[in-house]
Amino acid sequence: MNNAPFPPSRRTLLKSLSSGFGYLAYASLAAEDAAKSDRRNLPVQSPHFPARAKQVIFLCMKGGPSHVDTFDYKPELQKRNGEPWRGGPARLLASAQKFKQYGESGIHISSLFPHLAKNHADDLCVINSMHTDLPNHPQAYAQLHTGSFQFVRPSLGAWSLYGLGSPNQNLPGFVTLNPPSDMGGANNYGSAFLPAIYQGAKIGGGQLPALFSALSGKTEEPGPPMKNIENPHVSRKTQRAQIDLIAGLDQRKLEQDHYHPEIEGSIQSFELAYRMQDEIPDVLDIKSEPESIQKLYGIGRPGDGDRFAKQCLLARRLVESGVRFVEVTAPTSWDHHSLLNQNLAKSCDVTDQPIAALLTDLKNRGMLKDTLVVWSGEFGRTPYAQGLGDGRDHNNKGYSMWMAGGGVKGGYAHGSTDDFGYKAIDKPVHIHDLHATILHLLGLDHERLTYNYAGREFRLTDVYGNVVEEILG
Amino acid sequence: MKSQRAVFFVFLILWATDFNAALASSGTDFFEAKIRPVLIENCYKCHSVESGKSKGGLLLDTRAGTHLGGDNGPAVVPGNVEESLLIAAISHAQPDLEMPPKKERLPDGVIADFRKWIESGAPDPRTESTGSISAAPTDLESGRKFWAFKKPQQHPVPESLENTDWPKSDTDQFIIAKLEENGLTPSSDAAPEILVRRLHFDLTGLPPSLEEQRGFLKSVAEGGIDKALAERTDQLLASERFGERWGRHWLDVARFAESSGKESNFTFPEAWRYRDYVIDAFNNDIPFDRFITEQLAGDLLPAKDDAERARLLIATGYLAIGPLSLNAMSREQSLADVADEQINASTQAFMGTTVACARCHDHKFDPISMEDYYAMVGIFRSSKTYYGTAVGPDNQLGGDLIHLPKSLDLPVFYKALKPEDVAKLKQEKIDLIAKEEEAKAKAARAAKEGKDPSEFFSLQMAIGGLWRKGAIDGQLALVDEDGNPNAMCMGVTEAEEIGDSPVYERGELATPRDSKVPRGFPEVVQLSDPPEIPDDESGRLQYAEWLTHPDHPLTARVLANRVWNHLFRTGIVRTTDNFGFNGERPSHPELLDHLAMQLVNEHEWSVKGLIRELVLSRSYRQSSDFRESAFLKDPENRFLWRMSKRRLDAEEIRDAMLFVAGDIELTRPVASLIGRTGGRNAALLPFAKNIPADLDGSVHRSVYLPIVRDRLPDVLELFDFAESSLVTGHRETTNVPMQALYFMNSDFVEKRSASFAKRVMSDAGEEPEKHIERAFKLCFNRPPSEEESALANEFFRSTTGEDSLKRYCQALLSTATFRNLD
Repeated sequence: MNNAPFPPSRRTLLKSLSSGFGYLAYASLAAEDAAKSDRRNLPVQSPHFPARAKQVIFLCMKGGPSHVDTFDYKPELQKRNGEPWRGGPARLLASAQKFKQYGESGIHISSLFPHLAKNHADDLCVINSMHTDLPNHPQAYAQLHTGSFQFVRPSLGAWSLYGLGSPNQNLPGFVTLNPPSDMGGANNYGSAFLPAIYQGAKIGGGQLPALFSALSGKTEEPGPPMKNIENPHVSRKTQRAQIDLIAGLDQRKLEQDHYHPEIEGSIQSFELAYRMQDEIPDVLDIKSEPESIQKLYGIGRPGDGDRFAKQCLLARRLVESGVRFVEVTAPTSWDHHSLLNQNLAKSCDVTDQPIAALLTDLKNRGMLKDTLVVWSGEFGRTPYAQGLGDGRDHNNKGYSMWMAGGGVKGGYAHGSTDDFGYKAIDKPVHIHDLHATILHLLGLDHERLTYNYAGREFRLTDVYGNVVEEILG
Repeated sequence: MKSQRAVFFVFLILWATDFNAALASSGTDFFEAKIRPVLIENCYKCHSVESGKSKGGLLLDTRAGTHLGGDNGPAVVPGNVEESLLIAAISHAQPDLEMPPKKERLPDGVIADFRKWIESGAPDPRTESTGSISAAPTDLESGRKFWAFKKPQQHPVPESLENTDWPKSDTDQFIIAKLEENGLTPSSDAAPEILVRRLHFDLTGLPPSLEEQRGFLKSVAEGGIDKALAERTDQLLASERFGERWGRHWLDVARFAESSGKESNFTFPEAWRYRDYVIDAFNNDIPFDRFITEQLAGDLLPAKDDAERARLLIATGYLAIGPLSLNAMSREQSLADVADEQINASTQAFMGTTVACARCHDHKFDPISMEDYYAMVGIFRSSKTYYGTAVGPDNQLGGDLIHLPKSLDLPVFYKALKPEDVAKLKQEKIDLIAKEEEAKAKAARAAKEGKDPSEFFSLQMAIGGLWRKGAIDGQLALVDEDGNPNAMCMGVTEAEEIGDSPVYERGELATPRDSKVPRGFPEVVQLSDPPEIPDDESGRLQYAEWLTHPDHPLTARVLANRVWNHLFRTGIVRTTDNFGFNGERPSHPELLDHLAMQLVNEHEWSVKGLIRELVLSRSYRQSSDFRESAFLKDPENRFLWRMSKRRLDAEEIRDAMLFVAGDIELTRPVASLIGRTGGRNAALLPFAKNIPADLDGSVHRSVYLPIVRDRLPDVLELFDFAESSLVTGHRETTNVPMQALYFMNSDFVEKRSASFAKRVMSDAGEEPEKHIERAFKLCFNRPPSEEESALANEFFRSTTGEDSLKRYCQALLSTATFRNLD
């Protein structure tokens, strides 16, 4: 029955493809597929509605910073130091920090963050009524990053990238700087069931679990800052010839197959990779920054401050180059079960100047309005003392975090905890709400940003989440 | 140009939806031109089977759904605009019913079109496809009517009308019938060179060698293609390489990994025994019903000798290798989570049903109740899981391992201890505890007296103590009383206490209901003589009996679909792990039934038997060439008008490079890197001197690479390896620059290129002209064309230096052509 030459000769096919119905149909399908395969190369996608922020820098304060010593001022707690907590054996522990109102807005910040308070109080949008589901590090850390503590789910960064793509094709769209090796490790920047292209690229070694770090004296795992980014055994000239040969051979195959997105995509990705090799080392080279900038961040200070300063500066360089989502994990623990006053002061000292510098730097470059800076730990700490009396325990029921830039209301404190800072009571904001809000700021509707996996539409906020409208600038 | 645009528009519509219906248009042109595109654009997202959403109970992707309407009433009443809620919604006539939501109102012209369409009787060509039912079948009655929960039926094998010479098997008859029904023709057979490459990769995950290819072409010339294919298929199925490929497919589904994953991620040094068990099971073609039973209840099966006893215990490792929370809030919570993981993994793997969705509430889409779920919880809570991770500060939930018979001399990597050292360790632990108690008492006294207690007992001391005690426990667990290392495996046995579980409201342990649910299985499945669980048994054995019962509607279908998925690149049901309402409907429901019944009755659950039948079909033999006309009708190739092309998966890419370079070591390595180097927190792997940075460094087949959750060898991570915390029947394929960087710069490819170049040298001597051809043949099993030779010559002209050949070899290995299969 079917007597047409089969398969059609290349000439017939091309002829029919180069005009009329066939061509249009083919072109449209090819475009469709190219878009699909291009999606693998992360082109910019339009958001659901106009975005307030184009990129995110997430400053992750692993361990759970004490909110009642930093951003949540509780006069009642100060007054009732040493009183039993709810009739139990635990005693209330007043903060040893001096709180003051800063900026025109007069938001309360403790003396532990002098740079931030002095220069950026009016940029900060503090949420004092955060809460999360569990007071246990690994679960809360996973929930902060993926919305779920029970299942392996895509991370906030992966979802953002999935929704928006990336403006720079020569760099990964989602970068995480020195993430912890424990606390779920790669799950916290993973893509789970989303395609692998959306997962975060780790730059720098993973931070080791605190206990191991304390015993071994090492803080980071070894390894190059990024894998396979250079080949010391081959010259650029030879590599160029290789890329041309690969493209040439694949092009022959593509012509035979007429339509083969996988081959086409590969030709493109080798070109990109070739360019990435040059771009990444440049972006990572913070020595090229003027001395004044290095000084602003506090590069060269002794201890962990230097390291965190470099991370913050690198974060700016990455978003400036078009990376969509950058996470920075502070190289200091906030898990102050004991010796709270000394250790909290140390953690604040390590992070204060670099963070203030980052905000200043972004502002001076006109980037702060498009860049959402998020500062948060996985939970806060109890208003009562723990154990030997000089520390605070985990508290998931109420804590503080802040955001700046990227379309949030500056100089604003949202919601509140009870008189002691124990529980969020006014306008509580759950992690799901925070996620919904961050996506919203990026122009994404958290209910529409879905991915079909195993026959079900999944989203970052599962079936929860409300955008916190009040904090939108 | 104008006509082109019109054609283009029509095409778009055709492409977007159901071709047949649209082609059969008469009174429905208006619908196709004006209505359907608007529905697709604005409504399907929340109201269609494909999106899995039917907000307000409304589905707008079928005529019936549209007429039936949702919770508020019919969306469209033909001829009656006033009663059609769709009009009210899109014209924003009611404030609480404004559609599409949170968007501008549709243009007036569009709303006018809808009015006109309804006034004219709402002609709608959309027939009920297999994919259309109006509501999720969540109760038993409608559940039992849902296709997947109905027992497979024997369907008459259709006869081809137009291509009577084409079919070679019943499978082909089903395929051709559907093709003809849709106005499509099958593709011609692929060339023998292509077929042999396809067959080798599909069955063994390796390319054919040049000799193997020559041998195949010779036997085609001598005895014809049918005979040649049958012979080669039998050879490949008998080769040990088969189990390494198909065993790996199962390991994806079994969410196999060598660490606990999640927040604490401790390695499982004994997990590799289960991996080897799976590979052997596929090589020995253990009937799949038996394979299921061994994995769920091997410990309860009789064994004729110690070797079989060991094998059956190792099989239950299936239940123990899942992701684990070692840092859960409580032991009870952790046990509940383990049972949940076992239910989730096994119901998805064996029956494509997400039973674990019913942990906190009745399943929202499938007929699975909380009672069903907790009936299964009883089974797994009556079992003890041995996962064997060392206790440490990040792991309060260390687990035991199962001891394997001593008579077998199995490979063990733990160091032997002298008996006196065993005694010493025991004493050390006693001393440690005593010392710690003393320090604590002193600290408490000091605190009372207002002194600094940390002088006597600090956090650091507590932690140090935990580490030291954990380390001693860990050492002692690995040896017997005399200090000889134990051979052990992960797995499951019956728990000391056997009993039923209550339903926990919202899945929370704090809120059990008063009465308990008898151990059992989802009620929606009806069997003629369902197995009963004795009071003193967990019920795992009966679970296996229940799954493999000939009446079970899902098990054989799900397996047949998995096999099909690997051979034809997509499943008949594309959502291989979800056959429920939210999964996709089968493209060929009758064929799926047919294959499921063949599998059970004809092949007696032999996976090799089913594979053999399918690869010898005409359907499998088709060329993958592009055909415009067919492509326009069926761009996704759902009807199988050609063989779909596929990219090799991660293991194949690595193995093929090793193979071509002549580096591959085909013997099985003993254990795995993780097994040989002992248990630890995965975060510490980069510090282990005996573990390479890319977690590779071997020339064995990729199935033997270490699989640590969240910390995969580079090649696996980059080329879309299965997420090992999830059941994965079908892997994604991505195409990203990081993959290109791997080819350009990785240590692994660097080494392969060097060996490849050496191999070319030794085969072809010093003459560059011969190098080009020889390397090409080794890589692609064919000589280069004139154009390709010209490109290669150009390369050698533009590069100088002694490693040009190596760089040429590297480029060949990097081509997309090398890692894509026709």
